[in-house]
Amino acid sequence: METIADFEVQYSQFLDPDGKPSDDVPALATDTDKLIEMYSLMTETRVFDTKAVNLQRTGKLGTYASCLGHEATHVGIAAAMRPDDVLAPSYREYGAMLCRGVTMTEILLYWGGDERGSDIAGPRNDFPFCVPIATQCLHAAGAAMAFQLRGEDRCAVSINGDGGTSEGAFYEAMNIAGARKLPVIFMVVNNKWAISLPIEMQTASETLAQKSVAAGIPGIQVDGNDIIAVRHWVERALARARNGEGPCLIEAVTYRLSDHTTADDSSRYRKDEDVEKARAVEPLPRIRQYLTDLGVWDEKKEAALQKDAAAKVAAAVKLYLDTPKPSIESMFDYMYAEWPELLEEQREHAIRYDGSNGDPHG
Amino acid sequence: MAEVALIDALTMAMAWELEHDPSVVVLGEDVGVNGGVFRATAGLQKRFGADRVQDTPLAEGMIAGISIGMAAQGMRPVAEIQFMGFIYPTVDQIISHAGRMRNRTRGRLTCPMVLRAPFGGGIHAPEHHSESTEAIFAHMPGIRVVIPSSPTRAYGLLLAAIRDPDPVIFLEPKRIYRLNKQNVEDNGKALPLDVCYILREGTDVTIVTWGAMTLETMKAAEQLAEEGISCEVIDLATISPLDYETILESVQKTGRLVIVHEAARTCGVGAEVAAIVAEKGMYDLEAPIRRVTGYDVIMPLFRREMDYMPSVRKIVDTIKETFEN
Amino acid sequence: MSTFNLPDLGEGLPEAEIVEWHVAEGDTIRTDDPLVSVETAKAVVEVPSPQSGVITKLYANTGDIVPTGAPLVDFDEASQDAAAAPVKKEQSAATVVGNMPTGNEVLEETAIPGRSRKNKTGRIKATPSVRTEAKRLGIDLAAVNPSGKNGQVTIADLNQHHQSTQEPQTSKPPVRRSSAPTGQAEPLRGPRRAMAQSMSLHRDEVAACTIFDDADINDWLNKKDFTVRVLRALAAGCAAEPALNGFYYADSMSHQKESRVDVAMAVDTPDGLIVPVIRNVEAMSLEKIRGAVADLKKATMDRTVAPQDMLNYTITLSNFGMLAGRYATPLMVPPTVAILGTGKLQHDVVAVMGGIEVHRRMPLSLTFDHRCVTGGDACRFLAAVIEDLGKPQ
Repeated sequence: METIADFEVQYSQFLDPDGKPSDDVPALATDTDKLIEMYSLMTETRVFDTKAVNLQRTGKLGTYASCLGHEATHVGIAAAMRPDDVLAPSYREYGAMLCRGVTMTEILLYWGGDERGSDIAGPRNDFPFCVPIATQCLHAAGAAMAFQLRGEDRCAVSINGDGGTSEGAFYEAMNIAGARKLPVIFMVVNNKWAISLPIEMQTASETLAQKSVAAGIPGIQVDGNDIIAVRHWVERALARARNGEGPCLIEAVTYRLSDHTTADDSSRYRKDEDVEKARAVEPLPRIRQYLTDLGVWDEKKEAALQKDAAAKVAAAVKLYLDTPKPSIESMFDYMYAEWPELLEEQREHAIRYDGSNGDPHG
Repeated sequence: MAEVALIDALTMAMAWELEHDPSVVVLGEDVGVNGGVFRATAGLQKRFGADRVQDTPLAEGMIAGISIGMAAQGMRPVAEIQFMGFIYPTVDQIISHAGRMRNRTRGRLTCPMVLRAPFGGGIHAPEHHSESTEAIFAHMPGIRVVIPSSPTRAYGLLLAAIRDPDPVIFLEPKRIYRLNKQNVEDNGKALPLDVCYILREGTDVTIVTWGAMTLETMKAAEQLAEEGISCEVIDLATISPLDYETILESVQKTGRLVIVHEAARTCGVGAEVAAIVAEKGMYDLEAPIRRVTGYDVIMPLFRREMDYMPSVRKIVDTIKETFEN
Repeated sequence: MSTFNLPDLGEGLPEAEIVEWHVAEGDTIRTDDPLVSVETAKAVVEVPSPQSGVITKLYANTGDIVPTGAPLVDFDEASQDAAAAPVKKEQSAATVVGNMPTGNEVLEETAIPGRSRKNKTGRIKATPSVRTEAKRLGIDLAAVNPSGKNGQVTIADLNQHHQSTQEPQTSKPPVRRSSAPTGQAEPLRGPRRAMAQSMSLHRDEVAACTIFDDADINDWLNKKDFTVRVLRALAAGCAAEPALNGFYYADSMSHQKESRVDVAMAVDTPDGLIVPVIRNVEAMSLEKIRGAVADLKKATMDRTVAPQDMLNYTITLSNFGMLAGRYATPLMVPPTVAILGTGKLQHDVVAVMGGIEVHRRMPLSLTFDHRCVTGGDACRFLAAVIEDLGKPQ
């Protein structure tokens, strides 16, 4: 027998957990303005995320999926994108969304049970949160198809988790993207857990990057806690796609430091010491350390950043809490472009019974 | 005998079958180590091992598909879909294969599987977690759709579903997972499928409902009793195939029918009940058949969720309207 | 002072157990500082403080179980900061998020599996449009003879009933069919119910004996005057033998003979047997009897026979043989002691003076209560009836 095909998977890290740069660190590593911008956003995301969990615990937010530990991955992806590119997230990528102009208040409205949270004012063409796992991969491929057909040099980026790589939709999306050389990047955020299922039981594949081999597209693995690595490789992938060279898969390895959502208790299925081991290599300290070592960051700046972030979050929370619930008619307003008669009677019925059901949530 | 909630009764039923029938396998996402996101399978993997209670990779189509494969080869898989909002990838497998296996092989191969999923709204959950689309499966020949509404019926009906030689979609109204308790004897006794359960006898109007809506309906019945209207409340339990004999018998007695379901109105299962009674019970009717349902809109996020659902007041008002001339 | 209640910690969990307080009464706390650790059915959760302020009261101790929505801590009013203001407004609403209330209410199992109930109550069957029309016409559906295939009242039935109540009854009453659909038990109502009751009473009390004979009516000049002639004959029988015209009281074992002859006449209607009474037949001429019978027929069809018109009769007549039936063992209702039944008129071969002739005859069946009436009494009575019936007019 002769070998007719082979594959290899490459791994990239530029900043180690202590913030020490590798020898082959790219030019991005010297662009301290960009780095500080991204680090600031990572910090804001962290502060926002912590507050959101607290809001849930005090009954002011519904179930919420924390992004603790994913900040470098999320911010790195979005920072590499152009404003006219399109993002198709799952339901955890707040760092990416905030970077692209979604507001904290909009995110809170969504988890607070208000559809207006998905009517985002900033990136109007981005897809909203996507709960059915990996279905967004196909949407990204479709967006890329539209760009290709219209001759635009825009790109689509989908983000899904390790669990999502088991879904058929994930493979179907890669396959069509590869067959047609669609300008789409498949970001796989491997945080090691799909609710209670560890990555070891999710698949026999040694890496998730190599799932790209089946679709005939390139795939690499990066350290998802390394903001420089994430941004660098996403930029390269986008440039390649814009150039007509087709899609690729980037696996960003990180760790889900929080529970799956506020309704989950991860202590039931994983050990505290494993979580703490992961926390020791989490993304924020290393970039902070790197910037400090470069002489462009210090404790005073850190304190100012924290204060600023807290103020931004507090303002967003206040706006969210002050938003009255949507009108009863809004249940019907967006079912079709044109109003079908069938709904008229039901709409009147709903208006008649508005507020009569005694729901104390308000 | 133990006082258990609906969710615990499900665990008891699965444990009983796992113990007494070696061909039963429980599978799904997070059902093993985690015991299920609602704890429906809590303790089962510890007791029966990881081969009999399996944590699967994240793929609903796969879960349904391999269940069909296992069932056709003599096993009895009891698969869990985490929420009905994620059941749609299974629809291809269920409709194209599970419902057809017996028919297209002339009985040579069959599909004795159960697909369980929490369904229904009212718990202020995020998007896609409040679905009530049982009508999709009810429309398909070859499968059963069963919805319990109390701990004892959950126990008895799940046992029946697992033992049933045909595929069963077992939808669990999550709003009443822990609402109340009942004394449920863990005796392995199944309740009959394909039969309605009369929750309250009455003489003036028949109300057909199922799932968590039995709650609001019983409350409405109590309220109306004080006003002199005697309601007979029937829980479909088996949504498909329908036990229309019990419904027709009741309408023969009362002359009035109101159907309550939280699912959207158009082509909901209520439409089928109404059609059957219009066809076979027309001469017993004294008033038009009425339905109290969710609206034909996407279930709103939870700030407006309760406005979408049928409420006690909506049910009471509609029943009263059947007495107007 | 504001109270913070235990919020829903995850998709509607019912309660939580206090694992550890991170504050004590009197402590000052800031928003988001850890307040208390609680354990739910799903997890151990740390609840942060919703506001800043001084803790003035803790509502539970370590180890206590607190239901979702129940008070947890009190904050001192004066020490709230601006950011907490909206919290206070939302507090009572915010703390009952999640509508999967759980409880420890234990349900009784009251459900009845379907198809296990056998008792069915019959209702009048009719389409809604027929019901509306009936209402408009002021017709009680129960009075209408249903002819529908499923036992339902049709619009034609309504119209026929409506017409028949406007016009006098001229035609022979149509054959009555039972209106209930077959295959299911229908509770008896109205006259049928009454019949069941009175016949049961007969069976329980009376010592019934029946004598059969025939009256030769070949010589009748008016060939059609059946009911009227029979009534007169009955009165003749009572005159000849009053023992059969009256009452027997079993408790006192006493027999009450009457001189008035009030005859209860059994009439078959769609609703069943009704038995209106013609009073004082002994005092009536043939003409008068004829008039009384006509009035009675009309009243029966119009359903205007009043309850008192059916009481207090002394003897019963049953012209059962309209269609078929020669002899019968008719049953009277105690305390009366006799009932005469007339069968279908026959053309019989009779022996006359050594020869054979065909004579029109009326079969007679006389049931009497043998507790107080002897066979002799009965025969004397019957002989008088037969003799009167035999007269040409």
